Amino acid sequence: MHTAWTTKHKPRTVAEVVGNRVAIGTLKQWLQSWGMGVPKQHAAFLHGPPGVGKTVTVEALASDLAMELIEKNASDYRTKEKITQFAGLASQYRGFFGKERIILLDEMDGVYGNVDRGAIPAITKIIRDARCPIILIANDFWDKKFVSFRDKKKYLIIEFKKPPAGQVLKHLTKICVREGIAFEEEALKFIAQRSEGDVRSAVNDLQALTQGKKQLAYDDVSWLAYRDRKDVIFSVLRLVLYGKTCDTAKQAADLADVDLDMLFEWIYENAPYHFNVPSELKEAMEALAIADLYRARVRRTRHWKLLRYVIDFMTAGVAMARDKSKPSGWVPFRFPQRIRTLSASRPERILKAGIGKKIKGRMHLSVSSAQKDVLPYLKVIFEHNPLMAAGLTCWFNFSEEEVNYIAGGKRRAKEILKAID
Amino acid sequence: MSFEMWAEKYRPKSLNQMVNQKDIVERLESFAKARNVPHCIFAGPPGTGKTTAALCLAHDLYGEAYRENLMELNASDERGINVVRATVKTFARVRTLGEIPFKILILDEADNMTGDAQQALRRTMERYTGTCRFVLIANYSGKIIEPIQSRCAPFRFTYLSKEEQEVHIKYIAEKEKVDLTEDGVNAIYDVCRGDLRRAINSLQAAASLGKPITSETVYAVVGHAHPADVRAMMKIAMDGNFVEARKRLREMILKFGVAGSDLIKQIHRELFRLDIPENWKINLAEIVGDVDFRLVEGADEEVQLSAFLARLTESSAKLKGG
Repeated sequence: MHTAWTTKHKPRTVAEVVGNRVAIGTLKQWLQSWGMGVPKQHAAFLHGPPGVGKTVTVEALASDLAMELIEKNASDYRTKEKITQFAGLASQYRGFFGKERIILLDEMDGVYGNVDRGAIPAITKIIRDARCPIILIANDFWDKKFVSFRDKKKYLIIEFKKPPAGQVLKHLTKICVREGIAFEEEALKFIAQRSEGDVRSAVNDLQALTQGKKQLAYDDVSWLAYRDRKDVIFSVLRLVLYGKTCDTAKQAADLADVDLDMLFEWIYENAPYHFNVPSELKEAMEALAIADLYRARVRRTRHWKLLRYVIDFMTAGVAMARDKSKPSGWVPFRFPQRIRTLSASRPERILKAGIGKKIKGRMHLSVSSAQKDVLPYLKVIFEHNPLMAAGLTCWFNFSEEEVNYIAGGKRRAKEILKAID
Repeated sequence: MSFEMWAEKYRPKSLNQMVNQKDIVERLESFAKARNVPHCIFAGPPGTGKTTAALCLAHDLYGEAYRENLMELNASDERGINVVRATVKTFARVRTLGEIPFKILILDEADNMTGDAQQALRRTMERYTGTCRFVLIANYSGKIIEPIQSRCAPFRFTYLSKEEQEVHIKYIAEKEKVDLTEDGVNAIYDVCRGDLRRAINSLQAAASLGKPITSETVYAVVGHAHPADVRAMMKIAMDGNFVEARKRLREMILKFGVAGSDLIKQIHRELFRLDIPENWKINLAEIVGDVDFRLVEGADEEVQLSAFLARLTESSAKLKGG
């Protein structure tokens, strides 16, 4: 059930591969040329950054051209001994069942460049004698250990480039449609752009963010922006929480590459863990409260000059709260939970709104008072009295999912649904 | 046992079934008899029969088919100016075919309407007085703009008295064959204080446990239904666990949607029950007041309240340290 989408939605044919049309065309031509006898270049060397589709292309081409693909991974050719074990395979063009064969040496970056081990010379020897196409893949072609492959007469060198965000977006869209996920275009755009052409990581992100959900909103993904900048934000936090002078603490606001509100959230989330003397904790939280108050005033009056006080209190104000506080041991920095809670409870909020509407339809209330004044009692009833709950389910016309939510568990919900029949 | 919400099942259909607000009911009955109704404002706290009175009035005016001449809107859900322009106008301007020449439009939670929407409403009310009468329902009539107030007959609803609430609760308990002890009746009044909707919901939830209803069951149910356990949160803060107290606060606000102003109200009440020196209480009250005012200024509820919690943590640490 839970297969990785990078496998599940892997391109089956080369037409589905994202980007790199020219590189793919060159490779395809070369593979087809083997049908007319062994060409001058016995091997192709594909290189490019991770996740741009090098391996996927080879697999899709093999399938399109109905060729047999023999894949070898780094562990298979660490040493000369291991490599000579599959030398025999390369000596024949047609495999056991008469299919033309391709030998793929993936993850070449993992091969020891060390001469003693003799891996690279062993591979070049196999290639020299090869009667079938051999494809090598690595990220960094310019690594010293690959120097013997730079001869363009013997090796077809093909570079794979990062596909543009637009093409990644198209791919993500296709996956969402197949998975039946309703999405905000902005959310996918964000993931696509952030991946910087690494399609695999984009697909992984998409899967992680939609885990167990059928919709994806921009709010669900926007916090990812901060994930990669941990290093920066962490050093900023250290300045604010442990700065000795006002100036060092205030520097933080300039160094942080997140906006001021987000920086506030980081400080507000983490400060309590770093002050263990109650009076200093109070000072720090009060400084944050004052910063927040000025923030509200800026919003309300549009007097942007007040912003400097926001910065003063959220940085220097917090730093100056410290006198004797010293957290025992190492305290890790935490991602602002408020932001996580907000986006995590989004599907729940949608569900609650639906329930509120149904209560409203029956009880002359607004949706919000239905949620506040009636739903809590329904929860009690649904948890304790399946019979009454069953009657109410019919009366309100709740869906199964809604019953699940109100009853607070599938087991109780099942009992209620059974009582209806 | 019945399979509806009792608050709905036992909602009076006609004005003469209403148990409370005697003066108001009398005046409304005279409207029904005269077959003429002015625009009205029903103002008062929740669960006191405002919506019910409006529905009953319509019922007594038009008889069983009253739904055809009635429109119910809730301003909290549709408070934009466009709703007033479109929905209200379309309903208001079409003349009815019955003997009574006007229809009734109930606008619930009207105090949640934006100022612009109220202005638009005012013109609509004037223009279509002949074909439509408005009943505006609000918690606070003060939030309704003056020009609308002056066009409406005002009715002030008040909380039910202990006796009124008791009569109604006992009546429902009897009809539903629920074993309700005297002690349970008192407990329901203690937690609901004349908010009849809440009282009936509490009764039904307590009844769902399938045991005789005592004060214990009532408090258990209400405690369960209202997780905004401010007292527990304050205690955790005073025990020195600020991080956990803030987590509770966050849950109340984000997960249960408790409004910051409600939290402040409860904190203020609990404050005076704390086990701290009397003069500290008043110092803390000043701080609560400060937080309250900051919220009025638009500050963030959680940030402000957690600063207060930090102060509680500090106060109790001082107390323990002597």
